[in-house]
Amino acid sequence: MNADNNNWWSRLYAKYGLSGPAAIVLLVFFLLVPLLPGKFWTIVSTEILILGLFAMSFNLLYGYMGQISFGHAAFFGLGAYATAMAFTRLKTAGGEIATLDFFLSLLAGPPIAALGALIVGFFCVRLTGIYFAMLSLAFGELLFYIVFSWYSFTKGDDGIQGLLPPPYFQDAAHYYYLTLAIVIGALAVMWRITESPFGYIMRTLRDNQRRAAFLGINVRLHMLVNFVIAGAFAGLAGALWGPFSRSVSPGLLGWQESGIAVFMTLIGGAGSFMGPLLGSVIYTFLQAVVTMFTSYWPLTIGTIILLIVLFLPGGVLGMVEKGIKARRGAGAGEEKQP
Amino acid sequence: MTAILEVTNLHKHFGGIHVTRHVNFSLEEGEQSAIIGPNGAGKSTFMNLLTGYHRCDAGRVIFEGQDITNRPPHRIARMGISRAFQVSSIFSKMTVAENVRSAVHAQLRRSFSIFGAAGRIGVEDTDRVLALCGLAAKRGLVAGELAQGDKKRLELAIALAGKPRLLFLDEPTAGMSIDEARGTMELVDRLNRELKLTVLFTEHDMGIVFNHAQRLTLMHRGEIVVQGTPAEVRANTIAQQVYLGEHHV
Repeated sequence: MNADNNNWWSRLYAKYGLSGPAAIVLLVFFLLVPLLPGKFWTIVSTEILILGLFAMSFNLLYGYMGQISFGHAAFFGLGAYATAMAFTRLKTAGGEIATLDFFLSLLAGPPIAALGALIVGFFCVRLTGIYFAMLSLAFGELLFYIVFSWYSFTKGDDGIQGLLPPPYFQDAAHYYYLTLAIVIGALAVMWRITESPFGYIMRTLRDNQRRAAFLGINVRLHMLVNFVIAGAFAGLAGALWGPFSRSVSPGLLGWQESGIAVFMTLIGGAGSFMGPLLGSVIYTFLQAVVTMFTSYWPLTIGTIILLIVLFLPGGVLGMVEKGIKARRGAGAGEEKQP
Repeated sequence: MTAILEVTNLHKHFGGIHVTRHVNFSLEEGEQSAIIGPNGAGKSTFMNLLTGYHRCDAGRVIFEGQDITNRPPHRIARMGISRAFQVSSIFSKMTVAENVRSAVHAQLRRSFSIFGAAGRIGVEDTDRVLALCGLAAKRGLVAGELAQGDKKRLELAIALAGKPRLLFLDEPTAGMSIDEARGTMELVDRLNRELKLTVLFTEHDMGIVFNHAQRLTLMHRGEIVVQGTPAEVRANTIAQQVYLGEHHV
């Protein structure tokens, strides 16, 4: 440590790593957004928060447990559908929903997603690496096709429409603040989990599963618990999505949606707690801006991912971390995982 | 003295190769014993069988009166058996202190503690093990960036954090300098003497073996050839032929 240790930022960095300063910057950003004129950026920022929470739940599996899932959107979608279905049953014939019933319908998302994750996870945690990834993809697509085809229960590819929140939350800024509060609460819980003994056991599984078993760790059971936790947070993000976009559709469970979480995590940096949320800021804002000028969004994001994988393997926060280490002369400056 | 570990008729083959052949073996509580033998004799496989990493094809392993044959590694570890690996097997992206702390958490059965603060649980045990293994000054370093000797010491620290009653060490001094090796073996002696920890280690350096083991077992092609005190094994003609001869003891 050097002389600037008394510096406020350095102390924050010393205590929480890059996630401390990153959290402050992001919080300021999210508090300032509604001051921009018009509703557009507020709506974009709501999307940033919801997809950011989704990406951070994915990173519990990837950055902390060391397994990549290509089917994580299944739990995002399950949460969205659970909320949408509860919402539909609770709303009046006129399409209105009482505020209390609205919150009740939001609560339906996480447990249903967690239940789905328990069943899928039971099989996935038997595998690691590419096999884990492929099995999660297969289960994700399976759930997608069930929702897509089971018309009598899920309305199939029509999706569920008319998820209009109570009047107060129909205002873009009000829904934004609600989302912000819920996401901050969720991230606080998530931070606590990643800094718990369980959170560090996840890191041991990421680094060396065999060794962890010889410490007395039941590897599969710990992986399953983490899978369910990640599924529940994805389900919470999904629950917020329906009333935000006023509808849900089967695509929310599909592999392309899963890919968004992977992209955001790679852009922001899997090695840092706040990485996926930062990734969501970059991804969603870019998408909003790029689609104003061109319909070649997939080409754009494809190029960006290519460049990041080739030149910034630690994502944006990984690059910042490297820069800090290089300035402090801390040697190699290898990407420090969370 | 009673036997802490009893192995009867243990057998293992990979395809047509019999790597452990009907081995009978026992360890007395509190003893410090070594397995020696040429490369490929089956020493590491034998440890893998005892700790549940490989499945035994036949035979029984009894630890403190309980049958642990073919139990999964995490169950065996929880019963009080720790091991350190020949090639250091650590958590390379975590810091030295985090490595030991997670092992302490596992020993304290706190691995499922989801809302506890990792930094406040098992602090004393973590500090004690780090100090014992001479790693206190390096606690903040990322484990993967340590020098080879330090990695091996961390390997031992992780094993000790499990508060074992029986400790398997697979070549604990491999890759260490002479001074580091001496320090490590002195620590092992101390643990054995003061905590009555039963230790079984493999080692290629015959100087270390004869100075630090109370009993020796010589393995060759998956079989136990000779067992006895260092003096007995040294005097044994078969032992000289299959192994000790190479080392000019």
